[in-house]
Parts: sequence; C-alpha cells; structure tokens
Amino acid sequence: MHQPVKTDYSQDLRLFRTAGQVWSYAALAVFLLAAPILFGNYLLSQVVFVIIYAIVGIALIILSGYTGQVSIGHAAFLAIGAYTAAYCQKQGIPFVVYFVLAGALTGVVGYLVGLPALRLHGVYLAIATFAFAFIVEEILARWESVTNGNEGIMLALPDLFGLKLGDTGFYYLCLAVVTTIMLGAINLLRSPTGRAFVALRDSETAAKSMGVNPARYKTRSFAISAAITGLAGVLYAHKLSFISPEMFTLSLSIEFIMIVIIGGIASLRGAVFGAIFMIMVDPVLATLKDDLPGLVANVVSVLGLNGGGAQEAVARVVNAPGLKSLIFGLIIIFFIIFEPFGLAGRWEKIKLYVRLFPLYKATTFKRQKMYLKSERGR
Amino acid sequence: MQMKYLAIVVAGAACAAQPAAAQFKTQGVTDTEIVLGTHQDLSGPIKAWGVPAANGLKLAADEINAAGGINGRKIKLIVEDSGYDPKKAVLATQKLIERDGIFAMISPMGSATTLAPLPIVQRAGILHLFPITAAEFTYKMDPGKPEDRLKFNIFVPYYDTMRIGLHWAVKNKGFKAPCIIYQDDEMGKNFTDAYKDEVEALKIKAGTMASFKRGATDFGSQVAKAKADGCDLVALGSVVRESVGIVTTAKKLGWEPGFVASTPTYVPDFPELGKENAAGVYGVGQVEIIDSAAATGKVKAFIDAYKAKFGVEPNNQVIAGYNGLMTFAFYANLAGKNLTTESLLDAMESGKEFVDIFGSPPIKFSKTDHLGVAEALVAQVKDGKWQTVAKNQGYKD
Repeated sequence: MHQPVKTDYSQDLRLFRTAGQVWSYAALAVFLLAAPILFGNYLLSQVVFVIIYAIVGIALIILSGYTGQVSIGHAAFLAIGAYTAAYCQKQGIPFVVYFVLAGALTGVVGYLVGLPALRLHGVYLAIATFAFAFIVEEILARWESVTNGNEGIMLALPDLFGLKLGDTGFYYLCLAVVTTIMLGAINLLRSPTGRAFVALRDSETAAKSMGVNPARYKTRSFAISAAITGLAGVLYAHKLSFISPEMFTLSLSIEFIMIVIIGGIASLRGAVFGAIFMIMVDPVLATLKDDLPGLVANVVSVLGLNGGGAQEAVARVVNAPGLKSLIFGLIIIFFIIFEPFGLAGRWEKIKLYVRLFPLYKATTFKRQKMYLKSERGR
Repeated sequence: MQMKYLAIVVAGAACAAQPAAAQFKTQGVTDTEIVLGTHQDLSGPIKAWGVPAANGLKLAADEINAAGGINGRKIKLIVEDSGYDPKKAVLATQKLIERDGIFAMISPMGSATTLAPLPIVQRAGILHLFPITAAEFTYKMDPGKPEDRLKFNIFVPYYDTMRIGLHWAVKNKGFKAPCIIYQDDEMGKNFTDAYKDEVEALKIKAGTMASFKRGATDFGSQVAKAKADGCDLVALGSVVRESVGIVTTAKKLGWEPGFVASTPTYVPDFPELGKENAAGVYGVGQVEIIDSAAATGKVKAFIDAYKAKFGVEPNNQVIAGYNGLMTFAFYANLAGKNLTTESLLDAMESGKEFVDIFGSPPIKFSKTDHLGVAEALVAQVKDGKWQTVAKNQGYKD
C-alpha cells in the first residue's frame, strides 16, 4: 500500500499522513458544520442518528475489531447511558455532569462485564454478554422508582450551560462528541494500550509472552467500549425524547454488530460507513417507494409500453413489507463472503485501484487476515 | 479558515438558542386536497395491528373521497412503515412533516413509536390525532404547555376498561372477592392500578395479585393461589393466549369462578381458542366485534367494501384505523371551508359528538378533555362468540 516517504520522526505522530487527507477532512468538516444550513430537519435528524450509531460503532470496533472480544450486549450499555441521562435530567442535574457520569457509570459496568471475558471465549462470551443484556432489560423494567418501569421516561433536549439547545444545537453537540471520541479512539489505538489490544486479538499467547497482561487489557477494552456506548446512550435518549426498556433489546445489539460488519471491523472509519448505511437504508427505501414507481412508469411509457402496469408492479415490489429485511440479509451475507473488511475495506481498494491504475491487481489483498474469528490464536 | 469555522459555529449556536415557541401551523391544505400522514408497523412485531389499521385508514380515505371529500377537498393519505422501531418512527414523522407537508398526523401505531416522535409533531405545530395506543401521554394536557392542545385520542385506556369490567361485574353479578392475575409489564401495570383503585372505590377487600411473565404457558401456581385465597372473580390482566391458559388451568383444577377480561382479550380469537373453557367469561371492549354473518346496513357495506378492496375479512384493528380517519373527517367538515389547525381545534373542542357506524360509545372532546371516550361495552362469551350484555358502561356512578 501507498506510504509517504518518511523524513522525520514527528511524521509518525501526525494525525493526517498526506496533504490529500488534510484537504478531504477539512472539506468534510466544513460540510458537516454547514449541514444545518444545507439540510432540513429531516436530513439533519438522519445525520444525528448516523452520528449516534457511529459512536456505538467506534466502541464496538475497539472491542471486537481491535481486541477481538465479541459482545451482543451493547444495547444494554446504550440503555444504561440513556437511563442515566433520563434520571439525571429529571433530578435537575446539568447536562455536562450527567454526560460524564453516564460515561463513567457505563464504563464501570463494562469493566464488570469484562471480568467473565477473562475466562470465556468466542460463542461463550457472546452468550455471557447476551445474558447481561437481558439482565439489564429486566432491571430497567423492574426498578420503577428510577426507570419508571415499562411506562418509560420522557426527556427534553438538553440545556448546555444554561443555553436551551434546539435541533441545530443538538446536532452540533453530537458532532462535537463524535469528533472528540473519534480522535480519542485514534489516539488510543496508537498508544501502548491500543497496541496491547491488537496483540491480544492476534495471539493471546504471544501477547502474554511479550508481557501484556490479558486480564488488565481485556477488562480495559470492555470498560472503554462500554463507556463510549454509554455516551452515545445519552445522546440517543435525548434524540428520541422517550425511552422504555423494550427499545433496548437484542435486535438493537444486532443492529450494532451489523454496523461493524457492513462498515468494516478493522477500521474506525468503518463505524461511520456502517452507521450511514444502517440509518440511510430506511429513508432511501421510503423515497424509492414514493418516487420509483412513477419514474419507472415514465421510462417504460417512453419505450412505448404499458406505463401504468409497470407502475403498479414496481409499486407492489417496493411496498412489500419484508423488502428491507431481505435486502439487509443479502447485504450481510454478501459482505461476510466477499468483503470481510466492509465498506471501509472496499474504500481502501477503490483508492488503491485509482492510484495504481492500470497496474492494480486483486491479489494485493489476497492474504488479508480476518479477525472476526474470536478463537484465533489461542 | 478558523475564522470561518468560528462564524459558522456562532451562527449555529444562535439558531440553536431559539426558544421553542408553541405556534400552531397549518400546512398540507390546498383548495383540492388535505394531506394526512401516519406511521404504522407494517413489517415489525405488531404488524398484525399495523397492516389492518393502515388498510382501515385507506378504506376510509377512499370512501370520503368517493363521497366528494371534505368540503370539496380530497384526502391524500401517506402511510410510512415504522417497524415498531422508535428511531424509524422519528424519521418517518420528520419525513411526513417536512417532505410531504402533512396537515396532521393521524392514527399512528404503538406506544413507544408514538411517544418518541410526539414532541416533533408538537414542535411543528400540527395536530397529533388518535394514536392507536391508550398511553396517557397521548391525551393528557399540561396546562403550562400550550402545544399539548394538539394531542387527541379516542381509545379507552386499559385502566378504564379494567375498572369498568370489575365495576360492572361486582355491581351486577354479585361477586364479592375479586382478585387479579396479570402480565408483568406496562400493560399489566395499568390493570393492577385499575384493580387497586376499583377495589378501593367499591369498598371491598383487595385479594390476590398474581403475576406471570410475558409468554408464560403454565399458570398452575397463580390459579391455585387465587383459588386458595377464596377469590370468586378473577380479573384477567392478560392477552388472548395467556387468558386462555388461565381459564383452562382453572377448569383443570375444578374451579369455576367468574372471569372478567379487558380489551386485549376481547377479540374473536379468545372464544375460538378457549372453546368450552372460555364460556361465561366477561370481557370489556370499545367497539363491538364484527360479526360478518349478522351484520346489516352500514356495517355490512363496510365489510363488503373492505373485502372487495383487500380480499380478507375486516377485524377490529381495521376499525381502529377506519374510525380514526372518519372522526377526523367529521370534525374537519365541522371546521368548514376555512380549514386550519386552529379552526379544526375549535371544531373538535366544541363538544359535538361523533357517532360511528359500529354502535360504539360517542366520541366528544372539550377544552380540558382530549380523550374522546369514557365508556365501554361489556360482553360475555356465549355459544363460542362474544355477545354484548351491556353498552355504554362507565366506572363512575
């Protein structure tokens, strides 16, 4: 792969390796900052959900992608963050305080959940995290004095330093949070801790022989991942403005896993790609449902055929209720078989293709390893 | 570059700081059209509710349009799928409000899926009408919040139906020691609250309260406990399948108390599944269960129209959607040619009664009460069918 020639040690510490990266991220930053001006509330809302999902994606990529630990209980961490926010807002605690508190609390819970991870691997760890998620869901439904039980809690948009945030303000808040977490995660993964995570993922035995303490780093990974998810939970609760235990179920945890599978488990960028995909599929399908039949009918009638019949047929297909599940299933199978590194991996290949054209060869990536196998290197 | 960021951030903060002014807004009404939006669960866990309700809405829209519309305006109904996911419901709601410019949200489905987008609808200043859930949030008004005036509902809450059932059975059938077996969730909580309040109001001793988990199949311990405590009327805070389980278990134990069930059990499946064990059970409901064979007049026309359009028999879920739009049409007609959110609000709060074609209790609202209905009917399973025994019942004497 393309590496710029290094002439200076400080180059290794830079966030952006090439001038191209600086410009493209600057353009992205300008675009995101201007989004409220460019978009209406509907699109802005989608972007906010993308941001929240991306934060969870980052958390899960740190845990699964970089440390090699499975979790199908991340909805529970999200729930703990969300309920901390809801409870604290009711008590009149300021946003900044309970935002940090939610992260800390979820981090502690994540540490505790990480303890069984020391003894469990692969599918057994998955079952343990799954059980944990059930326990949390049960507690949320039972502990009525705090969680209001199955009736759920309503929240208002947060006050930030006495300023009442509207939709736009909340968007900027989310943007600030995701940027900070992303930068934090990038830095974490090139710190000794991050290196230790990767070492543990690749081979626990080898890592141990190099002096990496598996117990310390696995629990740390769980704690960090949970804390980040907890922060996302706070934003999620405020965005939805109503939370109840039935929202934080297994299917939400699975949605999160889908983010990293589709986005790409081996790259933080994958979290963003995966989140964009997960959130945007529905609105795109909704738009298709409205516009596609008419469009097809126009094309067909230009060709001199029966436009009305085609319109009806297309309308029937795009309105079929199970369509989305079908598309999702196919996409996941497709990614697992053909592109284990997800959209982020595909993006790398496209970039390389363009750069090396016409000398690109598919075998460049032939020997890529897949770290989705949790039993690896034991 | 940095100055530019700063400028944008400052501009953003300035937008962000705008107070959420409660203003009613009118959109989606032209001289020829009224655009209405709804989100239903068409693909998720409660699509058995969402699909027929959406069909009911469509049928009502067709009928209204065929009859010339509302003051000359046709209804354009836009249905979105929420999949019973609050996140999707939020996005669907924003799409309906912004892209489609709906005049009002009509009969959206589910509790969580309605509550999450509700503030968005209120902030947009448009009406949130008749969600298919009986949650208190959907009609209770906070006097400090003018936007709460935009919320209306027409479904009897679980709480009310349970109180009505207990009240009626104790007053009219001479039961003395009611107890309750309930599902341990939000719905069950409504039932236990109603049970406690009604027992207190009737000045009788509270009896056994036994719970079971959603999806339970064995009710031996709960029934045995109720029997041992001398209960003579079991309130069923359960849904169809569990209700059948409970009455069957009681039969097996050779125990024959009275049973009174609420709306989730007042469905045709209960006598069908319960067979002879279901006989004699009392149920409370809002709308009489459709009986295709016995239907006459407008109800028969409704059934025929539905069958012609969708190819299946209508059920009570269809009526939930159908009545929602029909109630809207009634009040929109009252509001007259100048249809705005304000004029519709005034028409709805005028206290005029809407009576549906199914013989349900009349619907009316006032400035202080946005839950359109306070009464329900009591029925009993006879000859394998629910048969109405008392109409327009309330629990306040």
